[in-house]
Amino acid sequence: MTGAATAGAAMTRTVKCVVWDIDNTLLSGVYLESGERLPPPAPGMAAVLSELTARGIVHAIVSRNPPAAAEHAAQVTGGDFVAAECGWGRKSDAITRIAAELNIAADALAFVDDDPYERAEVSFALPPVLVLSPEDMADAVGWPEFSPSVVTPEARRRGAMYAQRRRRMAAQRSFGGSREEFLRSCGTVVTVTAATAADVPRLHELSERTSQFNSAGAGLPEKAFRSLIFSPASGVLTVRLRDTFGDDGIVGACVTEHSVTGHSVTEHSVAEHGAGTWTVRLLMMSCRAMGRGVIEALLAWLARWAAREGAQVVEIPCAVNDRNVPLRLALAAAGFRAADGGAADRRAAGGAGTAGRAVFRLDLGGRLPDLPDWVGGPGKP
Amino acid sequence: MTAAPGDAGTGAGSADGAGSADAAVTAVTDEIRGILAAATGRPEMLGIPADMPLFGPPVGLDSLTGTLLLREIHRQFRVDVAGEDLNLDALATLGSLAAFVGERAGGRNEVS
Repeated sequence: MTGAATAGAAMTRTVKCVVWDIDNTLLSGVYLESGERLPPPAPGMAAVLSELTARGIVHAIVSRNPPAAAEHAAQVTGGDFVAAECGWGRKSDAITRIAAELNIAADALAFVDDDPYERAEVSFALPPVLVLSPEDMADAVGWPEFSPSVVTPEARRRGAMYAQRRRRMAAQRSFGGSREEFLRSCGTVVTVTAATAADVPRLHELSERTSQFNSAGAGLPEKAFRSLIFSPASGVLTVRLRDTFGDDGIVGACVTEHSVTGHSVTEHSVAEHGAGTWTVRLLMMSCRAMGRGVIEALLAWLARWAAREGAQVVEIPCAVNDRNVPLRLALAAAGFRAADGGAADRRAAGGAGTAGRAVFRLDLGGRLPDLPDWVGGPGKP
Repeated sequence: MTAAPGDAGTGAGSADGAGSADAAVTAVTDEIRGILAAATGRPEMLGIPADMPLFGPPVGLDSLTGTLLLREIHRQFRVDVAGEDLNLDALATLGSLAAFVGERAGGRNEVS
């Protein structure tokens, strides 16, 4: 038992990346002690890896072996490993680096190692990580943590997209100019369109998987998206992203309620907000798209669209927690403000790190955020 | 600009110990310039003035670089800017951020 029992009882969270040890975990045997004949894959390992990949879960390696061992393990297991850390440091540090590189939170990581000392070290240093022995892992494939409810084309291509992301980040590091210039140089195209029924599985998946960029702080079932798409009182926008490195598909979306004159939603919301207020029920973006101008484009699109339709204010009710600070940064950069925004309010709510809620507002009477020319879509505002 | 309470304590005009407080804020400002340069990959950040806005060009702080900046400030100064400042007013300018951090870091960054 390695924390598996408690993890199973916790809230439904899904693992996005499994970090594997090599010796006696991915491989049957010890790489450096195997002499001429390198160790074969552990029994059934190839099937486990490909099954998890098909569910949209990616793989990484953390090992004290030389990098050649990771190459060998990848080759014999047929696994697609999006990151590998080989070295003598603490495994918890290596896992932290992988989490940062992939931009995945620790509670969306699993770590599999046959060595109880390594498992204890990682459990102690990184409590949110789901730590498993290889025996646990064989069973865990059937657990809810490893069984996302929907698997979209975007999810199945996740491994490939992380590889593109690595190439893009390498290019960015060697690029001299501003981020805007970099996005332009790699042919970034952001496309905003009204959602259709075909987008529903991906919208649901995004709502479940996003935390750093999720205004509601919770997922929405497919049924809810379907009715929102077809309701005249709401609008659902999807955001697609591609560049010369690859096509990320749908990476973001937002759900709006319109109470503009002539489009009153319900008496309640009109009475509460008055005509001319648009309320964003859900704003979300894949963390993979972070730093690529997507959330900025979506917020600018929303503001300009609402203004063109005659609204005076856009309101975004937001969960406020440690996880979605990136969303608050994007809101601040776009000019949104919470009315009760002082430091004292946060302390009154229970101090740093305490979850809360706030409504962020943008007054459309001021200067609207710009939409760059690489952002497009029908009826661009 | 900043919503931080107690700004008066770090103001340039405060009487007793103003010299050392100013020196501390200057040191924090320099460190934040370094963090910004690393987060954005742009060495020209080392030369920006204290009254430079962080959002919008030319700094163009966004959700990615902003997250890297806040994470590093938390690590180096043990100050959780996002935890204390809902609207992130502290990020208005380099100077407002340095004042916010300097005021809360106290002597703690000297200890660690």
